[in-house]
Amino acid sequence: MNIEDNPLLRDKLAAEYVLGTLRGGARRRFERWLATDAALRSAVAGWQARIVPMAEWSAVPPPARTWAGIERRLGFARAVPAWQFWRIDGARLWGSLAVGGGVAAVVLAVVLAGRVQEPQLQQVATLLDDQAQTALVVAADARRARIDVRVADNVKVPDDRTLQLWAITAAGKTRSLGILPDNRHASLRLDQRAVGPDVVLLAISLEPKGGSPDPNAPTGPVLYKGAWVKL
Amino acid sequence: MTKDLDNTDALRRLVAAVALGDRAAFRRLYDATAAKLFGFALRILRKDELAEEALQDAFVSIWHAAAGYQPHLAAPLTWMTTIVRNKALDMLRRQDDAVELDAQQFDADMLLAMQDPAAGPPDRMQMTDEARALAHCMEALEGRQRQAIGMAYFHDLSHSEVAAQLSLPIGTVKTWIRRGLDKLKTCLSKREAA
Repeated sequence: MNIEDNPLLRDKLAAEYVLGTLRGGARRRFERWLATDAALRSAVAGWQARIVPMAEWSAVPPPARTWAGIERRLGFARAVPAWQFWRIDGARLWGSLAVGGGVAAVVLAVVLAGRVQEPQLQQVATLLDDQAQTALVVAADARRARIDVRVADNVKVPDDRTLQLWAITAAGKTRSLGILPDNRHASLRLDQRAVGPDVVLLAISLEPKGGSPDPNAPTGPVLYKGAWVKL
Repeated sequence: MTKDLDNTDALRRLVAAVALGDRAAFRRLYDATAAKLFGFALRILRKDELAEEALQDAFVSIWHAAAGYQPHLAAPLTWMTTIVRNKALDMLRRQDDAVELDAQQFDADMLLAMQDPAAGPPDRMQMTDEARALAHCMEALEGRQRQAIGMAYFHDLSHSEVAAQLSLPIGTVKTWIRRGLDKLKTCLSKREAA
């Protein structure tokens, strides 16, 4: 069929194409013409401009969760590796840590201070799990140049895994502070540079026996985290 | 009119930004259009959860296809609506149970929906001038022409399916739709010239 010299037929087919009543072989043939016929494409565009606004007649706001589903499908939420939790939804994380972690840390610092002989505690952190349960206490003692780490009794670690302690800077860099060989407590060397003023968070990751194969970042899941509070 | 042109222009700029991977612009584009597009998907699919999925499918496509959007061929909202319609119709075809249509009810619903929301509660989404003009011209059609065109578009019915819904010979339905579309075109171009 030759439609080039038949403007009425062209317009009729364009209208039926947009409306959806052009079907089957006729529709496929029309689409082939569209690929090479710019004037036919503008005829379709003209009918779209006429008919498609019908869609606007019944606006209904979608459920609020719809947007989150779009982001999830596009992988926006996963653009940051899962273990880099501190880059995800920063404001909320900081907010909850500032209120919860900060208070708990100061209280625990006082408790620790009473138990360690004449310590000079510089900084402390309470590391919480994702249900905000305290899992570890970390305290830096400048006099002994040690970082003391104690794990709460209720924390169970598989025998073939090791807990590893990390310092995280405001810029999002991670520095290993050492591993907990027995997964219960450790006394690690205090490296002032490693826990300097740029460090805002401490975190514990679950690593293969012996620690993360990557010296600069956790490879396993981050289980606990908390603000690093100066006293 | 000026405000409407501004809106179309704003949407066009947002689509251009989305083409460059601007996620904030993508969110603004969603906020500006989601209610219209969801309402449309709901009209086709009739179920909230299906319409929600169609809307999500469509926005995923919009994100990927934004770079290929041709502003000289279609207004941004027209382009997005066509994507939503295709997604919704894909889902409709995957449904086992065909949508039950009541021709009289359908026309009543359509007449109600095309009432200018500007006259209703202020929080309702403004129609574009194009949608308002189309509503005006559709109202001027004979009821059966309007019904046939609306059913074909909203429910993706063929000539024979519309004929079956209206219990009429297919030739009659073809003629009604043809004449209805011609009248629409004339009416819309008159309004445009005015």
